Amino acid sequence: MLLPLRYSVRNAIVRKSSAVLTVCGIALTVAVFAGVLSLRAGFRSVYQPRGDENIAIYMRPGASSEGESAIRLEQAEILVKERPEIALNAEGQPLAAMETFLAVYMEQVQGGKVNVPIRGIQPRSLELMGDAVTLLRGRWMQWDSDEIVVGQPLTERMQSARIGDTVLLNLTPFKVVGVFEHNGAQNGEVWGDVNRMMAALDRPFYQRVIARVVDGTDIAALDKELRNHKRTPMQVQSERDYLFGQTRALSFQLAFLAGFLTLIMGASAVLGAMNTMLAAVAARTHEIGVLLSLGYGRIAIFLTFLLESAFMGFLGGIAGVALTLPFDGMGTGLGNFNTFTDVSFEFTLTPELVGMSVGLAFFLGLLGGALPALRAARLSPVDALRGG
Amino acid sequence: MSTPWFLVRKHLADHWVRSGLTMAALSLALFLFCFVTSIVTTLDRAISSAAANRLVVQSAVSLFVDLPLDYQPKINAVPGVEDTSKMQWFGGYHQDESQFFAQFAVDHERFFEMYAKDISITEGPNGETGEAARDAALAALAAERRGTIVGSGLMSQFDWQMGQTVPIEAKIFPKPDGSAWDFVIVGVYEPIKTNVDNRTLWFRWDYFLETITGAEGFGDLGTGVFMVNMEPGADAAAVTSSIDALFANGPQKTVTTTEQAFQATFVAMLGSLPEYMQSIGGAIVFAVLFSVVNTMLLAARQRTRSSGILKALGFSNAALARLFFAESLFLSVLGGGAGVAFAKLSEQSMRQTLGPNMPGYGVEWSTIALGIGIAVFVGIVAGLGPAWNASRLRPVDALRSEG
Repeated sequence: MLLPLRYSVRNAIVRKSSAVLTVCGIALTVAVFAGVLSLRAGFRSVYQPRGDENIAIYMRPGASSEGESAIRLEQAEILVKERPEIALNAEGQPLAAMETFLAVYMEQVQGGKVNVPIRGIQPRSLELMGDAVTLLRGRWMQWDSDEIVVGQPLTERMQSARIGDTVLLNLTPFKVVGVFEHNGAQNGEVWGDVNRMMAALDRPFYQRVIARVVDGTDIAALDKELRNHKRTPMQVQSERDYLFGQTRALSFQLAFLAGFLTLIMGASAVLGAMNTMLAAVAARTHEIGVLLSLGYGRIAIFLTFLLESAFMGFLGGIAGVALTLPFDGMGTGLGNFNTFTDVSFEFTLTPELVGMSVGLAFFLGLLGGALPALRAARLSPVDALRGG
Repeated sequence: MSTPWFLVRKHLADHWVRSGLTMAALSLALFLFCFVTSIVTTLDRAISSAAANRLVVQSAVSLFVDLPLDYQPKINAVPGVEDTSKMQWFGGYHQDESQFFAQFAVDHERFFEMYAKDISITEGPNGETGEAARDAALAALAAERRGTIVGSGLMSQFDWQMGQTVPIEAKIFPKPDGSAWDFVIVGVYEPIKTNVDNRTLWFRWDYFLETITGAEGFGDLGTGVFMVNMEPGADAAAVTSSIDALFANGPQKTVTTTEQAFQATFVAMLGSLPEYMQSIGGAIVFAVLFSVVNTMLLAARQRTRSSGILKALGFSNAALARLFFAESLFLSVLGGGAGVAFAKLSEQSMRQTLGPNMPGYGVEWSTIALGIGIAVFVGIVAGLGPAWNASRLRPVDALRSEG
């Protein structure tokens, strides 16, 4: 025979102050857990590749990110012209773009310089991105002119990143003529004509070639073939793998941080819950004796105290998530040390994270309640009835 | 009547499970508080420990745009400049890409002189130590083009031996034949300041230049930055503006900053992370507070009756309050103190675990004082409720109550 759920819930509520304090302790643990992980989720979602798998990135062998790569101009031309795996568009032109990439200093609105990725692109770059990119305001730059377009988040976070502003690249002023939105890793970038960029920065080489490969291309095999190629040695990755590689370090660090903080704060919260439940058992010793002599089994007693603690945990989970909610969608920026650039993104409290957080809180409650519930279940009815 | 202090010991011992749990919870929380606070202070230290007499000249556009090599004699000629060294980020790795550490090509005849107050060479090529180590290591470096002086942390991490040739894979500067770069260890250094970690590999600029010349895809080779030491008493602002004025019309515009400002740009890359760390620290403090307040409320409720007896016997409210405060302070200071002490004791192993993510991780004495201050504060706040309740207690009611 089990005790009704209401009994557990009511008991938790009756001892208000103690239960509230325990719930608060669990809530703070959960808030920290959910906060750090929503930071991570937002960061990762930036690098979530969209759509098809047939986009390949060619870089110099050994480079682990674009900033470390360099491809000679004529090498890139040969690559695009000769590689059979590169798909053609309707006009029979190869669907490939040669791009430069550089982290340049920009002044933040609140002061302080950060590294912002600036990319020299070709008309084909936009074609390859397809509907992942949309122009929000202004217009696209004119090719072969000193004009740039900036990603939407930069207009809010950086000085001189609005339409009409100029950005000085070494000695050449570039004019901002448009604002774009890219639903992926390139949302926080600045784009200009690749040839103008190379000239302004006096860096006469590309960082990568991006291309659509024909269906069924085995990119791993292609990578093997091209690494030791005589004329065009390249390493090839799918865009998906490339982007994943760029998030590894920071994503790992945030996960480590969340784990470490949760482990210790969680342990602390469990000890607190245990205290509360031990007191609850002590205060209700007489009641337990009554229940036992009425014929309720030990398992029923055990479960009812366990449930009471789990219920407090559950409330703590809800409260913790509620504490994190105001952060959801808040814009922030972190340096990605893989690319050495600043990444703009938002705290993202995903439904899975909400589930995980409440689950964690429930678990903390169970953990804190287990020993006290065991102690309650093992009381002898006679002694318990005598107790206060 | 005096305060019956023995009751404090008895109360704590009678409820040893509760006392133990509370102290454990507190020590965990304060350990964590010291940890997150130390991350923030370590970042601040990295900036504040930078040399006051040093400037960094870099491209105005980007850290990744090289400066022409012919800038160096021009910078050397600026009044107030004592010496300069090229410094080029190499960006390679040994064995495994995830085992990140920094390598720099520097003007070896000048760099170690300029950095005498930042790093100390502790071991020479033939086991020299102390003063002799420095001269022996620098002589060996002058004699061996592939020579390198590495941090003690790298020696232990990779189990390197003095005189060993270590291969470094290049990500940015592949050799023309694609093979790994070889370096010969001729000296080991220890950082003196916290803004230098003990896991850096310094090697000769001329070896770098001759190896890379003729390799593909670099354009005209330059250097990432010039490190500049100023003469004693030189005016940093004046030197800075005269250097930048030299190159205002290109070919590469420069930005000269103090080493401190240069370090700050790397910390700024972390964005708002330090602020988030501080918020987490705040959350921990509140969690601790809740936990101890809860314990003391539980303790007081169970003792309503005995408090009544004490009052009936003629003990004053003040004496009762002193008992509660003593009990909660004992719990919080002992538990919290243990956590703070553990944070300090685990400093070394934490530094190892965090590795290059947080070089020079250290728990400052001010953090320890803050941690103990919080423990005391928590103890006082937690004693307030029970003391207040006890003072309003009427002995008659108290004696009637259960528990």
